[in-house]
Amino acid sequence: MDDSGFKLRLKQQQPIPLDVEIECRAGELLALVGPSGAGKSTILRTIAGLHRPDAGSIQCGQAVWLDRQSNIDVPVQSRRIGFVFQDYALFPHLTAQQNVIIALGHLDSNRRHERASQLLEQVNLKGLENRLPENLSGGQRQRVALARALARDPEVLLLDEPFSAVDQVTRRKLQQELVVLRRAIQIPILLVTHDLDEAAMLADRLYVLHKGQTLQNGKPGEVMRQPNSALVARLMGHSNIFSAVVEAHDSAQGVSRIDWGGISLELELNEAFAVGSMIDWVIHPAHIIMHRRDRPSLGERENPVHGVVREFLELGETVAISLELEANQAIYLKFTLSRHSATRNGLAVGVAASVSLLAEGIHLMPKQ
Amino acid sequence: MPPLVSSNQSAQIAAASSLQFVLPEIVTAFKQQTGHNLRVTYGSSGNFLRQIVQGAPFELFLSADESYATMLVEKKLTVDSGRVYALGRLAVITPENSGIALTPDLSSFATALEEGHLQHFAIANPDHAPYGRAARETLQALGLWQALQPRLVKGENVAQATQFAISGSSQGGIVAYALALAPAISRLSRVLPIDQSRHQPIRQRMVLLKSAGGIARLFYDFLSEPEAQAIFQRRGFEVPQV
Amino acid sequence: MDITALTLSLKLAFWTCLILLPLAVFVGRLLAWQHFPGKAWVEAIIALPLVLPPTVLGFYLLIGMGANSSFGQFYHSLTGNHLVFTFDGLLLASVIFNLPFAIQPMQRAFEAIPTNIREAAWCCGLSKLESLQRIELPLAWPGVVSALALTFAHTLGEFGVVLMVGGNIEGETKTIAISIYDRVQAFDNHTAGIMSAFLLLFSLVTIGLVYRLTYRRRRHGR
Repeated sequence: MDDSGFKLRLKQQQPIPLDVEIECRAGELLALVGPSGAGKSTILRTIAGLHRPDAGSIQCGQAVWLDRQSNIDVPVQSRRIGFVFQDYALFPHLTAQQNVIIALGHLDSNRRHERASQLLEQVNLKGLENRLPENLSGGQRQRVALARALARDPEVLLLDEPFSAVDQVTRRKLQQELVVLRRAIQIPILLVTHDLDEAAMLADRLYVLHKGQTLQNGKPGEVMRQPNSALVARLMGHSNIFSAVVEAHDSAQGVSRIDWGGISLELELNEAFAVGSMIDWVIHPAHIIMHRRDRPSLGERENPVHGVVREFLELGETVAISLELEANQAIYLKFTLSRHSATRNGLAVGVAASVSLLAEGIHLMPKQ
Repeated sequence: MPPLVSSNQSAQIAAASSLQFVLPEIVTAFKQQTGHNLRVTYGSSGNFLRQIVQGAPFELFLSADESYATMLVEKKLTVDSGRVYALGRLAVITPENSGIALTPDLSSFATALEEGHLQHFAIANPDHAPYGRAARETLQALGLWQALQPRLVKGENVAQATQFAISGSSQGGIVAYALALAPAISRLSRVLPIDQSRHQPIRQRMVLLKSAGGIARLFYDFLSEPEAQAIFQRRGFEVPQV
Repeated sequence: MDITALTLSLKLAFWTCLILLPLAVFVGRLLAWQHFPGKAWVEAIIALPLVLPPTVLGFYLLIGMGANSSFGQFYHSLTGNHLVFTFDGLLLASVIFNLPFAIQPMQRAFEAIPTNIREAAWCCGLSKLESLQRIELPLAWPGVVSALALTFAHTLGEFGVVLMVGGNIEGETKTIAISIYDRVQAFDNHTAGIMSAFLLLFSLVTIGLVYRLTYRRRRHGR
């Protein structure tokens, strides 16, 4: 861990339980995801100095901002952080420019005006400097908030669900602007978000938090494809999470077999799980292949599963399907299909269908 | 003809605040003799005048002087021109520990004033309270009015003036003798009645309103009888010569 | 028109506002953002003058401020003045009586400032004092001014307490409200009418002006 990064240890019982350890390098964007109440915002607020935990430490670069044991607690004003609040928290009686200037107290007064203009230009708000927040759109306000956060020349940038209060189109634009902005500033950035897509899009790494604990951290793609437990899989939005029993490991053929409610599935050899042990497994819809009636293919030999369509939900151009397994009517496989595929295959509620579960997509997780 | 009287009814009486210690005794005597109840409200005579003109349901009005009662007579709201039921008397009063002696000419107050010991002297407001008017006349007669003016504390009615006078923040005052005699007051103060020749007589007149019922009329007569008059005299009033 | 009484009333209102301004800003802000055990009781005590009849306050003031009381004597030793039957005593009564009129609107004004705006101010590097000056006060200002306007007008109209403890001394405790009452008692409706009309107009214009001036500001909180 190099010196310009950021390190946090936090432990408390009240007001919400927290026990986390987070590291973030300069220039890295870390996303904190998880359900409400997981403690994500509390963590950000603790870093900012707005909340003091029972125990823990925060180190930013060379400076120690918090160390409960040694009774060190640097006040908010002295920590150079940039905080973007969920509802912007702009000062309503000051113009955009004045909002940014107020955070430039560390500069000489004759340089503040210019620097503020520079920052506003950087966030694409040139020409709107003299507007009051009430005369700015949601997206514009968020940009002012960002400019103001950057005005402090912060050592760490904290974003608390910064794009949740704006509409979809504006959100996309802001996300793209953030990506561009990141290239210009090389500081650790922590982003709290509910939106997994946003996390996947923006973050270098993500931390999955649940009830104050870190369940898993890693690259978004990794965590998504290889969650380390059923809970993480659920939090990451997986819908096909099942239980199974490890049947056998065949090292000669390089496969393992699991018993899924009576159905035998084959996957890549994974000897980490003992034969006979109960496990959870997950498969992403992308690895569920529909058997086409008109053009059968070789792929259909891989883990074929038969069932009846029980749910057929048209959502725009895609269809969400729930397939009740023939072998075990308690189990439902969920996947999506383009509408025209669904039609071509004659799918509807009550219709029989078959799918293949690609071995490479079956990911095993220990039972918790 | 007075309306029929039953023992469940009572009469509404409006009485000047200076009567608040003498009237209860008279009311009790009345009840013992006739068995009837009375509902008495105490207050400043000017207020009662205004209220009665506006239709307040009093049946008998015992004013602190004549002019208020006479105004009601002129407005033809009364049965007749009424009767003087008592003559008010003044007393000079001082809190127990004030250190000022009480003399009929109030000279000790003049001295106290010159020596700077007299901060406040309480009277009822002479502009509208009969006892205040009489107090002013007394002070003028004694040649103390000009000197005491800046030190005067004026009560809204003579009861408030009495309260001010013994409050400890005043060094004394001129109040109704009837109030000064009450145990609650005399306990905390020293009292000296003032010679009636110092001021115009405070003729307290009572009138029956046109709506007066039988009980009110009975009480009106009772107030002029010897038993009630004796109580008035005992309690700090002068009785009118018949 | 009793000019002495009018001047006295204006003087009383002015000094009441002057004393209550810093006091109410401090207390209002404290109550807006701090939580401590017994806070509800503190707020209840402050609100008492809203629900108690002025006679109760007058009663306690007479007992508590009198020359025989320990507070009265303490005040006398400090300043050489007495509290009962004096302007000083009236001013003290007025400040107490106006506490909720001054504190409550200011407390509401500070409460209306979202917490994260204050936090944003700190995150921008502003000290608590700078944050008060540059962020909180400007945002709470309409509430502060409304509180003062209310207190001023309310003091002009104070009657019950003054009647009980004032003693009706011209130039000292005979306020215009008392003067009007006196004129009515003396059946001088003419003078009473002139003074009442004047007071009505004056109060209306004062409050109206203040509301008008802060109207634009009041819309900014969003």
